[in-house]
Amino acid sequence: MPDLHTDPFLRVSNIEKTFGPEAVLHDVSLTLAQQRTLAVLGRSGCGKTTLLKILAGLETADAGRVVVEGEDVTDAPAQSRGIVYLYQEPLLFPHLDVFENVAFGLRLRGVDKQSIKEQVDRMIGDLGLRGQEQKRPNQLSGGQRQRVAFGRAVIVNPRLLLLDEPFASLDVETRALMQQLYTRIAEAYAITALFVTHDLKEALLMGDEIGHMRAGRLHVYPSRQAFINDPNSGVAQEVAFWERIKS
Amino acid sequence: MSTSEHPRRGGRIGAAVVAVACVAPFVYLLVLSFAERWAFPDVMPASWSGRFWVRALTGGALTGSFGISLVVSLLVAVVSTAAGFVTAKYVAYHRHRQRLLLLAYVPFAMSPVILGTCLMYLYLRAGLVGTVAGVVIAQTTFAYGYAIVLFTAFWSPRTKDLEALVYTLGGSPAQAYRRVLLPVAKGALLLCFFQTFLLSWFQYGLTLLIGAGKIQTLPLKVYDYVNEANPYNAAVASCLLVLPPVLMLWANKRALSSGGLQVSSSP
Repeated sequence: MPDLHTDPFLRVSNIEKTFGPEAVLHDVSLTLAQQRTLAVLGRSGCGKTTLLKILAGLETADAGRVVVEGEDVTDAPAQSRGIVYLYQEPLLFPHLDVFENVAFGLRLRGVDKQSIKEQVDRMIGDLGLRGQEQKRPNQLSGGQRQRVAFGRAVIVNPRLLLLDEPFASLDVETRALMQQLYTRIAEAYAITALFVTHDLKEALLMGDEIGHMRAGRLHVYPSRQAFINDPNSGVAQEVAFWERIKS
Repeated sequence: MSTSEHPRRGGRIGAAVVAVACVAPFVYLLVLSFAERWAFPDVMPASWSGRFWVRALTGGALTGSFGISLVVSLLVAVVSTAAGFVTAKYVAYHRHRQRLLLLAYVPFAMSPVILGTCLMYLYLRAGLVGTVAGVVIAQTTFAYGYAIVLFTAFWSPRTKDLEALVYTLGGSPAQAYRRVLLPVAKGALLLCFFQTFLLSWFQYGLTLLIGAGKIQTLPLKVYDYVNEANPYNAAVASCLLVLPPVLMLWANKRALSSGGLQVSSSP
């Protein structure tokens, strides 16, 4: 019987994955406490998305285990894991309006109509989408679509939220607003999340903890300071760049 | 009169000419079906009668042919659309997608009559020659391949992500189909049903071969009347042949004009 007081909320152990001759993930392990966000920094093609898809149950690992709240979900289908994967593109259901997109997961669970209305109304308010309820996805801006996708994921109260570079396609200003929104919502809804990004600043802003992925290997830093001090993290180069600009 | 009005008027006249060219054959068929005596070079029939229509609509041979055609085409359209939708998913997501897709094109590589001739022995051994089931199976061979090719475009990586999203939100495969995949595919499904119905509805050679002349669908009836030099009955049969596609086109107008193959309306 797992001890939830001492065991981490999420434990990922020794994940291996190869596609043909190419090793995409090599001995990836991590732990994450409840209501914390682990930001995983890494370049494109380093295996970040594959790791998230394995955690979500959309891809199978060649080896390793995934344990959430003491439950081994390694072989469980995606629909019974309680782990929601948020795509890089705000993948909204094109035949549904904003209200129905947000309500989607609740309808799958057979939640009663009144409760759905109350929960969705509250979520739409929290997301700053009041007045947009009846709009279709093609009538929304990129930032609005990403907010709807975020609300649709959060409203089902997932055990773990996986965010795969969710703000990568947004402009700088919208991205900053979305980062603030994420921080606020994550706190309000007690979200536990893995936030994948290739943006150094975003990793620092979003993550309570920070990991760095290189060529399929993940290194999770013991503290933010350890990440900042690591010469390979890119922080030193970033600081040096701004120092040069300043001088 | 401004100079810009000339091209506009020319365009209108051109459109009218095209419209008349498209509609005229059908008007001619309709007039011919109500004619009793129409000898060359008369512009209009010498006398009119509705007796060919009355006979066709009150249990004549044409009624039976219309019924058989309807049953065969509906079965072909339903089976090939449903099977094509599911098979195309398997093909689209298979690592040998291109090779499998090539197989779907095989029925188109040869004419229906040649394919029917090749399969004749098999159909004879299976006792399917001269039966409605045999004709439906033979026509479905073509329509099924067409449906696979059409739906392969629908099963894109984006559709795969939509399906995966339903699962991570807690949905079952049945819920994914009912709540997302089928509604999103509605346009493509309607388009495929319509096209496969038409493929079957106008099929002649394969029906003649596998049906062995016993399965008298409407196209066969039209040819029979033409061979018998019975233009009035041929006209009635032709009108009946055109009627369901026109009705389906009217019913599908909105779905087809809104882009039947679009997977998503969002960018």
